[in-house]
Amino acid sequence: MSKLGQVVEAVEKYNQFVLDQVKRARTDEKFGRELINRWNETKEKTPVTHTPTGLPLPRLALPEIDEPGEIARYLFGEGLPGEFPFLNGAYREMYLEPTRGIELSSYGKKISTNGPKEKPTGDDERPPEEPTRLFSGLMLAEDTNERFHYLTQHQRTHRLSTAFDGPTLYGIDSDADGVSGKIGEGGVAIDTVEDMVRLYDGFDLGSPNFSASMTISGPAPIIMAMYIAAAKRRFGSKVVSKLRGTIQADIFKEVQAQNETIFPIEASLRFLTDMVEFTTREMPRWYPISISGYHIGEAGSTPVQQAAYTLSNGFAYAEMFAGRGIPVDQFGPRLSFFLDCGLDAEYIALARVSRRIWAIGMRDAYGAGPRGQLFKLHTQTSGRSLIAAEFKNNLTRTAAELILAYMNATNSCHSNSADEPFTTPSEEWIRLAAHGQAILLEESGIFKHTMNMLSGSPGMKAVERAVEAAILEEFREIERLGGVLAAVEDRFQRSQIQNAAHRYEQQIYDGTRPIIGLNRYRNGTDDIPEVKLARTPRAKQQLQIDRLAKFKKKNAGKAKRALDKLVDVVERGENCFPALLDAVEVSSLGQITDHLQEVVGRFRPMV
Amino acid sequence: MASPIRILTAVPICDGHDSAINTINLEFIRHGIEVVYLGYHRSVSDIVRAAAQEDVRAIGISSYNGGHIEFFADVVRELRKQGAHDINVFGGGGGTITHDDAAIMARKGVDQIFFAGTSLSEMTDYVRKQYGKPRKKRTHAKNPDLVLARRLTEIEDRSGARRRSAITGDGSTSDRRKRTGRVIGFTGPGGAGKTTLIDELVLRFLNQDRHSRIAILSHDPSVIGQGALLGDRATMINSQTDRVFMRSMATRGQAGGLSPATHDCLAHLAQSNFDYVIIETVGTGQEAMPFQNDGIIDLTVLVMNPDYGSRLQLQKIVMLDLAEIVVVNKSDLQRARTAHSEIEQRLEQNRRGQKLIDTVAKRHRDPGVDRLFDLISADRTR
Ligand code: B12
Repeated sequence: MSKLGQVVEAVEKYNQFVLDQVKRARTDEKFGRELINRWNETKEKTPVTHTPTGLPLPRLALPEIDEPGEIARYLFGEGLPGEFPFLNGAYREMYLEPTRGIELSSYGKKISTNGPKEKPTGDDERPPEEPTRLFSGLMLAEDTNERFHYLTQHQRTHRLSTAFDGPTLYGIDSDADGVSGKIGEGGVAIDTVEDMVRLYDGFDLGSPNFSASMTISGPAPIIMAMYIAAAKRRFGSKVVSKLRGTIQADIFKEVQAQNETIFPIEASLRFLTDMVEFTTREMPRWYPISISGYHIGEAGSTPVQQAAYTLSNGFAYAEMFAGRGIPVDQFGPRLSFFLDCGLDAEYIALARVSRRIWAIGMRDAYGAGPRGQLFKLHTQTSGRSLIAAEFKNNLTRTAAELILAYMNATNSCHSNSADEPFTTPSEEWIRLAAHGQAILLEESGIFKHTMNMLSGSPGMKAVERAVEAAILEEFREIERLGGVLAAVEDRFQRSQIQNAAHRYEQQIYDGTRPIIGLNRYRNGTDDIPEVKLARTPRAKQQLQIDRLAKFKKKNAGKAKRALDKLVDVVERGENCFPALLDAVEVSSLGQITDHLQEVVGRFRPMV
Repeated sequence: MASPIRILTAVPICDGHDSAINTINLEFIRHGIEVVYLGYHRSVSDIVRAAAQEDVRAIGISSYNGGHIEFFADVVRELRKQGAHDINVFGGGGGTITHDDAAIMARKGVDQIFFAGTSLSEMTDYVRKQYGKPRKKRTHAKNPDLVLARRLTEIEDRSGARRRSAITGDGSTSDRRKRTGRVIGFTGPGGAGKTTLIDELVLRFLNQDRHSRIAILSHDPSVIGQGALLGDRATMINSQTDRVFMRSMATRGQAGGLSPATHDCLAHLAQSNFDYVIIETVGTGQEAMPFQNDGIIDLTVLVMNPDYGSRLQLQKIVMLDLAEIVVVNKSDLQRARTAHSEIEQRLEQNRRGQKLIDTVAKRHRDPGVDRLFDLISADRTR
C-alpha cells in the first residue's frame, strides 16, 4: 500500500475512533463527566465580545449541546479551533480586529504573501496582520519595485507577492527566440541575480516585518537561488537564515493544471527536494512550497477533485521529503496550501474538510507533531467564475466567495478584481476587491465578533460528510493507479480535470448552470471596463535584452565554470542547490535551464 | 463522402492556458472535425511548420497571456511567406482579446476571434461552415513540404472516397526501386509509450548527422462522428524541427491501427527523399497485424508495456511472431523483469532471431533507447 492508502485508512480509523468515543462518552460515566466539565469550562473561558450596539456575543460560538456523546462528537470529530483534527480552524484565534490602526488611505493597495503566517494575529511584537493579500508584477524589475513601494507605503509589514512574466515562468531568457513580445507581460521579467537585486531594492529582506512571495514553480529552485544570492549581495551571508517568504514550487499541480513544468517530472521533483532540503536546514522561516489547488480548480476541476488532488499531492511531497531523510517535524511546518474558492456548494466546507484530512494523515500516516499537522491555508476567490458579460456582477460573485472562504477559516485570502476576465487588474477594481474584504471583515459583523458565526450549520455538516467521502474515494482511485506519481504520469488528474472543465462549459451553454448576465437575465448591452493595457514598451523590452547581453558578456568565463560544475553535481546525483547558488551569481536563468536540460532532458508536455 | 475537416489548434509561446482549447478540441472532434493539437507554449514557427505539414484548413489559436495582436499576425505573415495563403487563422482568448484588438487582428488577416461567452456550438458551426468547402489548387507553395503535404491530403481524400478495408498494397505505389528511405513500423498496445520512444529515437537520428531528414506518419483513432484528436505532436518535442516531416492521421473508421490511406501515404513518403520514414500505429489489440502484406515496411518494432497481464496473454499477441524487434518499454516498472524473461521465452520459440530490448523512453539519454537506436541504424539488411 502506498502512503495515500495509509492516509485513507487513517481517516477511516479516526472516524471510527470518533464513533467509539461517542459511545464511550455515553456509557462510561466518568469519561462522560470529564467531557461535560471540559465543555463547560471552554464555554466559560470563551471571551465575550460586543457588537457596536452593545450586544454581548461569545468570541467562539459552540453548539448548544449538553449530552456527553454529542460533546465527544464535537471535540474529537471536529476539534475546537486550533485543536486536532482542526476542522474548525488551524489556530485558536482568527480575524480578530484585523486592521486596527492601519490608515484608511492604504486600503486597496495592500499586497502580501501567499504564505500563511504561523500566527495570523501574532502574539509577539509583530503588529496584527490583515489577512488580505494581493499579487503584483509588471514590466522590468525596477517597475515592479516601484509598484511594491507604492503599495506598501502606509504599511508596517511589507508582504510582497511577486508575479513573473511568461519567459521567466518557463525558465527562459528575455533574449530567447520568439519571446520578445512577452517580456514583462503579466508579470516581472527576471533573467539574472542583478534583476533580483533591483526587484526588492529598498526593502529590508531580513526584517521580521518583510516577506516575499514568489509565484513560480517550474524554475523555482533557480529563482530561489537568485533570491538568496540577491539578499546576500545586499545584506551579507548572515541574512540567509532570516529570510521569510514563500515560493510556490508545486510541480505536481503544474503537470496537472498550470502547464509550466520545464524539466521531466522526476527531475523537477528532485530539484525541488534539493531546494527543500537546503531551505529547511538553512532558512527555517521560509515556506519552500505552496501546495496549490487553485490552478487545478481554475483549470476547471470539480471542487472535490481540487481538494483531493491538492491533498494527495501534498502527501506525495511529504513522502518524498521524508524519503530524502528530512525529518517530518522539520519540513511539515514549512508546508503551506493554496486553494480556490468558487460559488459551488462544496466550497462551504472544502477547506475545512481538507484541513481535517491533512491533520489526520500527517499525524497518523506520517507521524508528524502538532506543527506539522497544520493545513495553513491561503485562499483566492475564483477567477474563472468571473466573466466578461455584464462584468460588474463579478463584484457580487467575489463577495459571495469571500464569505465562503472566511467561513472555512482561511488564514489569508486574495479577492479577485471584477475586471479579471480582461486584463491585469487596474487600480480601480483592485481597490474595490480589497475593499470587499475590508467591508466583510471590518465593517460587517459577520466575522469580527464571533469568529465562527456562520459555521456548524446542518447544511455545512452535510457538505462536510459528502465532500470527505468523495475525497477519500478519489484517493482510493489514485491508489489503485499506483499512487500520485504514477497517476500523474498516466495523465489521470489531467484528463479528469479536462473532462470536468468540458462539462462545466457545456452546462453553461446548455443553460443548466445559470450564469447571470450570460445565460440568464441578460440585458444585451455588454458594458466593458476601460481596458488600460499595461503593455511593456519596446524600449524597456530592449533594455532588458541589452542588460542580459552585458551580464552574459561580463561573466562569460566564470559562467562556463559554474555551469560545468552544476552539470557535474547533477550528473553525480548530489544535492544541486549549493551549486545553483554559485551558478546564479554568474549565469542567467535561461543558461541554467539549458544546462540542466542537457543533463535531465526537457519536460514532455502532456495533452 | 467528403473527408473530415482538419484543423490545427495551439496555445502561444509562454502561455499555458489550455483549458479553453481542451474543451474546444473535445467539442470539435465530437462534431466530426479532426484536430491536430500542438499543445501550449508553442512558437510561431512550430505552429506554422505543423500547419503546413499537416495541411490543415485552418489554425485555431487560444491566447491568454497577452501579445495576441502580434502573435496572430506573425502566424499569418509566416504562413503567407511560405505560400500557405490558404491556411486560415482564427481563435479566441476570453476577455483578454478586446473588440478593438479583434478589429486590428482582422485587418492583419485573422478570420475570426471568438469572444468570451461564445457558445461552443457557435464555434463548431463556424468551422464547419467556413472551412468545410473544398479548396482551390495551391499555386504558389515555395516550401516543398507544402507540396508533399498537399499530395498526402489528396491521397487521403481519395482513399476516403474508395473506402478500402485493408491496406494491402496495389503494387503500383510500392515499387522498391524508387524507394529512398528506410521504413520502420512501430506498433503495440496503447499506453506502451510508442510516441515517446519514437521521439527519443528521432532525437538520436537528428544528432547522428546534420542533414538527414525523417518523416513520421502517426495515427490516432477516430471517434464516433468521425472526428479525431491528433495529439502526438504536442508530446513529440524533438520532432518539431524542419528536419522532421510529421503527418498525423486519423483512422477514419478503419480497425487495426491504421487509416485507409496509410499504405499509399507511406508509399509516397518512402519515395520522397527521407532517410527514415517512421510509422506509428494507434494502440493495438492482441490480434492486430497492422503491417501485414504491406510490402513497404523494412523493419517492424513492437513496443510492449510490462503490464500486459499473464503469460497466457502473451501467447495471443500476434505481433510477437511478426516483429523484428520487441521493446519492453517502461522497464523501470516492477514487473519489467518478469516481462522480459516471459517475452524472451516466447521469442525463442519462434527461432527467428528477433531482438528484445528494454527501454525507459521517458528517461533522458536512456541507454536502452541508445541500444535500440544502434540496432535500427545499423540494420542495413534491406
Ligand atoms: C483559468 C485561468 C488560469 C488557470 C489556467 C488553467 C489552464 N490549464 O488553462 C491558471 C490558474 C493556471 C492560470 C494561470 C495564469 N494566469 Co490565468 N486565467 C484564467 C482565467 C480565470 C480563465 C480563463 C479560461 O480558461 N476561461 C474559460 C474559457 C473556456 O472561457 P473564455 O476564456 O471566456 O473563452 C471563450 C472564448 O474566448 C473562446 N475561445 C478561447 N480560446 C479559443 C480558441 C479558439 C480556437 C476558439 C475557436 C475559441 C476560443 O472559448 C471560450 C468559450 O466561449 C482568466 C481570467 C478570466 N476570468 O477569464 C485568467 C487570465 C487569463 N490569466 C492571467 C494570467 C496573468 C495568468 C498567469 C500569467 C499569472 C501568473 N503571473 O502567474 C498564469 C500563467 C499560466 C500559464 N501557464 O500561462 C490573466 C491574463 C492577463 C492579460 N492577458 O492581460 C487573466 C486574464 C487574469 C487576469 N486578469 O489577470 N490562469
